[in-house]
Amino acid sequence: MTVFSALLSHYRRHPLQLLALALMIVLATMLWTGVSHLTDRARASLAQSERAIAGQQELVREDGQSVSVQDFAYLRRQGLCVMPWLEVERPAPEGRVIGVDPFASACFGNEAPGQARVDALNGEPFLDIAEAAEMVRQGSDGQLSLLVPVDVEANAVPAAFRLKDFSMGPATGELGESFLLNLDALGVLVLLITALLVRSVYQLGLVQRRESFALLRRFGVPAARVQVLLLIEMVALTSVCVIPGIWLGRLLAEILGGGFGQVLESLFDAPLYAVAGDGFVLPALVMVSVVLLACFADKRLLLRLPWLSGRQSVLWFGVPVLGLGLAMVAWPFILGWLYVGIALVFVAVGLLTPRVLSHVAQWGVEGAGAITLWQRRELAVLFRRLALPVVALQFAVAMVLAVQALVTTFEDAFEQWLAQRLEAEFYVEVPAQSAVEDGVRYLESLSGLGDWHLVQRGTTRVVPEMAGDDAATSVEVDLFSISPIGPLVTGWTLLDATPDAWEKLAAGQGVMVNEQLARRQEYQPGDPIGFALGEQTLALPVVGVYADYGRPEGEILVAGQILPDTFNTRFQSLSLNPGTLAMAEIEQGLATVWNTDQLTVRDNSSIRSLASEVFDQTFLITRAITVLTLVLAGTSLLVMGWVFFTTRAWYYRLLFVWGLSRREVAGQLRWLAMFLTGAVAVAALPLGVWLTWTLVSRINPLAFGWSLPMAVYPGFWLEMLVLCLAIGLAIAVLMRRQLGAGVAAPAVANVSGGGER
Amino acid sequence: MTCFSQPLRWGLTALVLGLTACSETPESAGFAGLGEQVRGETFAQPARGDRLRFPEDFGPHPRHRIEWWYLTANLTTEQGEPLGLQWTQFRQALEARDPGGPEPEPGTWPLDAAWMAHAAVSFQGQHWFSEKLARGGIGQAGATAEPFEVWLDDWHMRVEDDGRWRLQVSGEGWSYDLRVTIEGEPVAHGGDGFSPKSASGEGSMYFSLVDLAIEGEVTLGGQTFEVSGQGWFDREWSSQFLKAGQQGWDWFALHLESGDKLMMFRLREAGGDFLSGTWVTPEREVIPLGADTMTLEVVEQRDTADGNVPVQWHIHIPGRQADFDVSAPQGQYWNDGLFPYWESPVSVTGSHQGEGYMELTGY
Repeated sequence: MTVFSALLSHYRRHPLQLLALALMIVLATMLWTGVSHLTDRARASLAQSERAIAGQQELVREDGQSVSVQDFAYLRRQGLCVMPWLEVERPAPEGRVIGVDPFASACFGNEAPGQARVDALNGEPFLDIAEAAEMVRQGSDGQLSLLVPVDVEANAVPAAFRLKDFSMGPATGELGESFLLNLDALGVLVLLITALLVRSVYQLGLVQRRESFALLRRFGVPAARVQVLLLIEMVALTSVCVIPGIWLGRLLAEILGGGFGQVLESLFDAPLYAVAGDGFVLPALVMVSVVLLACFADKRLLLRLPWLSGRQSVLWFGVPVLGLGLAMVAWPFILGWLYVGIALVFVAVGLLTPRVLSHVAQWGVEGAGAITLWQRRELAVLFRRLALPVVALQFAVAMVLAVQALVTTFEDAFEQWLAQRLEAEFYVEVPAQSAVEDGVRYLESLSGLGDWHLVQRGTTRVVPEMAGDDAATSVEVDLFSISPIGPLVTGWTLLDATPDAWEKLAAGQGVMVNEQLARRQEYQPGDPIGFALGEQTLALPVVGVYADYGRPEGEILVAGQILPDTFNTRFQSLSLNPGTLAMAEIEQGLATVWNTDQLTVRDNSSIRSLASEVFDQTFLITRAITVLTLVLAGTSLLVMGWVFFTTRAWYYRLLFVWGLSRREVAGQLRWLAMFLTGAVAVAALPLGVWLTWTLVSRINPLAFGWSLPMAVYPGFWLEMLVLCLAIGLAIAVLMRRQLGAGVAAPAVANVSGGGER
Repeated sequence: MTCFSQPLRWGLTALVLGLTACSETPESAGFAGLGEQVRGETFAQPARGDRLRFPEDFGPHPRHRIEWWYLTANLTTEQGEPLGLQWTQFRQALEARDPGGPEPEPGTWPLDAAWMAHAAVSFQGQHWFSEKLARGGIGQAGATAEPFEVWLDDWHMRVEDDGRWRLQVSGEGWSYDLRVTIEGEPVAHGGDGFSPKSASGEGSMYFSLVDLAIEGEVTLGGQTFEVSGQGWFDREWSSQFLKAGQQGWDWFALHLESGDKLMMFRLREAGGDFLSGTWVTPEREVIPLGADTMTLEVVEQRDTADGNVPVQWHIHIPGRQADFDVSAPQGQYWNDGLFPYWESPVSVTGSHQGEGYMELTGY
């Protein structure tokens, strides 16, 4: 018999231990693969969602007339790739449909706007343009646009036409980027949880094999050789287990994600789930590396840090590291610094949690009865002996709490963000060369019209140093003017403001700035801000800071009345609610006063619902990640807990000797298991809340210059607690069966490392 | 003949109607569904006895379902290297319309016809191909007999003031700009212009211009070549082109150094192939060739990316003392559009020397 076969003979005698180790590697691989697969899909989904509603280009006539089919044919004959886009608005429930010409969109390739491909012409929302034209002929409102690929440049456009931005909805900009960055951070966390799960089961295995190692040593086998053989054994076992793990992880991700697929496809008939290039090699390599690191890193690294073992050492090391990590996250300089801080916090929490819980379990135990004493001491042992799975579940629950809060916060922020931009029901562009005053006078003359305001946009230069208008230090920002300041904007949630901020803004006695500008230039409400308006420079106090998700640019909001005639307005529009009037009537009136038949009118509610639907799907996928993480981490704890409790079955049987009935023993076990898992949930809570805060309030401002609002969801905390208690209950039920299955030999308990008291 | 309008039928109609394309084409409908039976009686079907009319027949035939304009050219560069070139524009009607009747209003984005254009260049064993699509009735694509013009987007063939035709095409990284001088009268196939495609009477109206002198420029990958040579132009229209069960065809248009011209095709079907052709003498006497007057045999196949293709053929026409091989040059000449097919220049060796073009479908 060789040394290797002697080593492996342990598993021949204890096949269930090999099965448990293999199962844990499969589960861990499944967790990481599933989560990373879902993350990739969320990323792909978000990217495609953005593409679906992202800005395009259109060609409009220089003379202001509407584009026509003749223009389309002319432009195509000039060699331009142009596709028609006929939006038809119909009353509910039919809603909006878009007529496209699949022949014309062929030259866009895969970049056809809205994925308006051939096989998508089913009316949801795309159909053949002839059908859309027929709806218009029968009385529906329709607007024809001629889209060109985004890479078409102005010098390629015939003289009678010009390029103009075309959007099916607001671009998400950095909001989406931020979401993806946070997903990446969570992916790393999942990998850490995976490593902890593997390490916990491996260590349990080593303890169970202690006798075998001792025997080998007595036969003269050097410890180093045993180490090498163990390494080979783990490489072989991991290599075998990662394949089904990866496959199962993807299968699980498919099942979790599959339900959403059809919903997604119905939005734009786009396979929003497709993630190309799924290979086995990379995930397999990652998992083998993680397993080897988790199992053997301590042989090289931790042995050089002998002071890390022992209760006092852990405290002496863990507490300062925790403080350092928290400080680094609280006052981060750069993103990398922040991530190091997060890593330190996790290391410290991982070291401290079992010790702290163990300590808490024995707190106030003096003078207690024998059973209570036993109960508390047993719990303390469990916390120490099950440290790794306990920490793994703690991290998993914390991550789930953070992801849930993050996703919910993102959803809220997204809704808010949409609401800010699409406050009014309709949005009418003021045509070039038309006098905006004519439109304003017309609206003022209407009775029954709902809330409305004029939006004017341009750029200005902010002068940070008020004393000298030094152009060298000035920064260019967007200028956003509204008049009148009315209910369409006063509902905005301000991040910070002086009293009566809206009134001061309306009176021209102050300005508001977006969060990006406030952070960059460190403006607080009450600070003066100097900026150029046309040929003059104004100095007004900042009266409020508003959230402006997803934009890199700084922006100043002013009342329209302070804009001088010399201000170069780049864009003007009217946002309005038609009130008791028909929108068609208002449109007609504005077209008449502006003497044009080309009026760009956007129905903001349909854009908002479209955008919301698309992004809802992305958030659903992200939620699936949390479910997957929790299920697998919970399963791991269940398996580990059961195995460990089994090793201590002999001690639990002593309770019978002490005179406890079977029912009372079962009750003790139930108390132990549920207290253990419940404590994990409670320990995970502060970490989860802290992680949420870090994601929304630290990573985002550093990466993008704006923060997301922090929110907590106690209802969800309760759900997590119940779930953890359910895991504890399941362990107890399994143990009750175990205790009834015959007498376990004390030797087994000793070999398995359950002998500690 | 470049019998290609049915790809439009199955390709573009499927595009528009959101149906699947060739995967659902019934086997009996032949290559790209060309043997699909016409439903309804609205389209006109050519029949023996129909006559050609000029110049009207250079323009579209809206009462017929399928038609095409087709040009091939065997050119040489200034350095004497051979260069082959093809341009085809197809019209596929979805509704029949009287030629004098009202045209659909463009503002309705009518879908009474779909257009497709193909262009290819073969040079030094390489093949460049591009495809364009358009709906009819809106001006993006179309054809007129007088003045002669066929266009789709910025590709067009049209008569210039000097009476020559100009063909301008550009693909991705390549283009050509040619001037075509037409010599001789149109050659009517099938005797009077009706070209049968089966023993049971399916067929098309078909004529060719076989004496085209071509010169111009071809640009490939940024390098421009001055080219000149000879070409062949086909016009063909029908409503029921193939009969059910015909799977594809092998078609040849050859310029022989003797001054003779030969058009020959074989339609493949299970019960026996249908063979037909036209011999044009140097004096431009047009002699229809029946199946019993000639043989066409495959000599060599070539393993290509899209399957085995017969690239060398033997043609024997005892009545014309013609006994020669027709061979494609080295390379792969698939037009990889909606329905891939083989389109290559060929050389003639044997009793006659010459050059020409070969089109193979359904492989």
